[in-house]
Amino acid sequence: MAVIKGVLREELKSSLIMKSRYEKELAKLPLGSLIKKRIRGNNYYYRVARINGKPEFHYLGKKVSEIEIERYQHAREYRAKYRHFLSQVKKQIAYLRSALRGKEEV
Amino acid sequence: MEKRKYDLCLEVLRRLNKCGILKHCILVGSWCLPFYKEYFKSKSYLVSITTRDIDIMIPVPKKITIKTDVVELLKDLGFIIDFSGSKGYIRLVHPDLVVEFLVPEMGRGSEKPYPLPQLGLNAQPLRFMDLLAEKTIKVKVDGIVIQLPDPAIFALHKFIIAPRRTDSYKEIKDQEAGLRVYNALISAGKGDKLKYVFEKLPMKWQTKIRKQLEKLTPDADPF
Repeated sequence: MAVIKGVLREELKSSLIMKSRYEKELAKLPLGSLIKKRIRGNNYYYRVARINGKPEFHYLGKKVSEIEIERYQHAREYRAKYRHFLSQVKKQIAYLRSALRGKEEV
Repeated sequence: MEKRKYDLCLEVLRRLNKCGILKHCILVGSWCLPFYKEYFKSKSYLVSITTRDIDIMIPVPKKITIKTDVVELLKDLGFIIDFSGSKGYIRLVHPDLVVEFLVPEMGRGSEKPYPLPQLGLNAQPLRFMDLLAEKTIKVKVDGIVIQLPDPAIFALHKFIIAPRRTDSYKEIKDQEAGLRVYNALISAGKGDKLKYVFEKLPMKWQTKIRKQLEKLTPDADPF
């Protein structure tokens, strides 16, 4: 029993570190995502981000560099990935805490 | 074991293999236990608890001349970098797996991380790791050749390091893993191999192993 509890405690410690690491990685990603609107045959680029629960559009211009487009695509992909893993880690933490029957701080 | 965890472990090893790093690495730690299944090929061999930590030892880091950014290599799988402990050992963390790199501690030893600039990482130097590198076996899993410590060395190594552990649960876990492989070797009729490895070890280490075995299997007198 001591081994299992020890392993669970170690895993919980690891999950807590992981949670903060994923949160930091998410914070590092550029805010919002890039969208292209086609209005009367012209392309207009906007950055859309949810601020205080409301989507806000920020006009970027008629042209955006390929690097910038890629940066936002990359951010979008990794944001989804990291959010998924963060939710997984949070579930692990809840499970490990209940398995340890510990509501106390570890 | 969770299939997801096992598949991810194989994917990490597959990627390291593809870029030519894996042949310079030895898988150590609790993750050896599931892979020893391929070696023992016995239904009675059961795997004990494996943590998320997968320890990869690089016995001779200078042999790796290919430059590979391991962090980038595993990034799309969701691994992120973490600096553990006060010394800043790099670990690659994922909700299902934590990858750590180790090197054998030489001479007087140092707690400083061993830099691995060719991999964009550092490794933790650990005592007695060189023993694990002395003799290895190769198992083929899903087309990947994985290098593992010889099971006899693995078992005896666990008995040597168990009393050095500061956490009691880790000590019990080491003893349990060592005993599991030790018993599997005896059952497979490979007791001679254990004896051969044991006799090659320094007297001090032999005493440590004997003490552990007396405690764990008082009736048996293997050596």
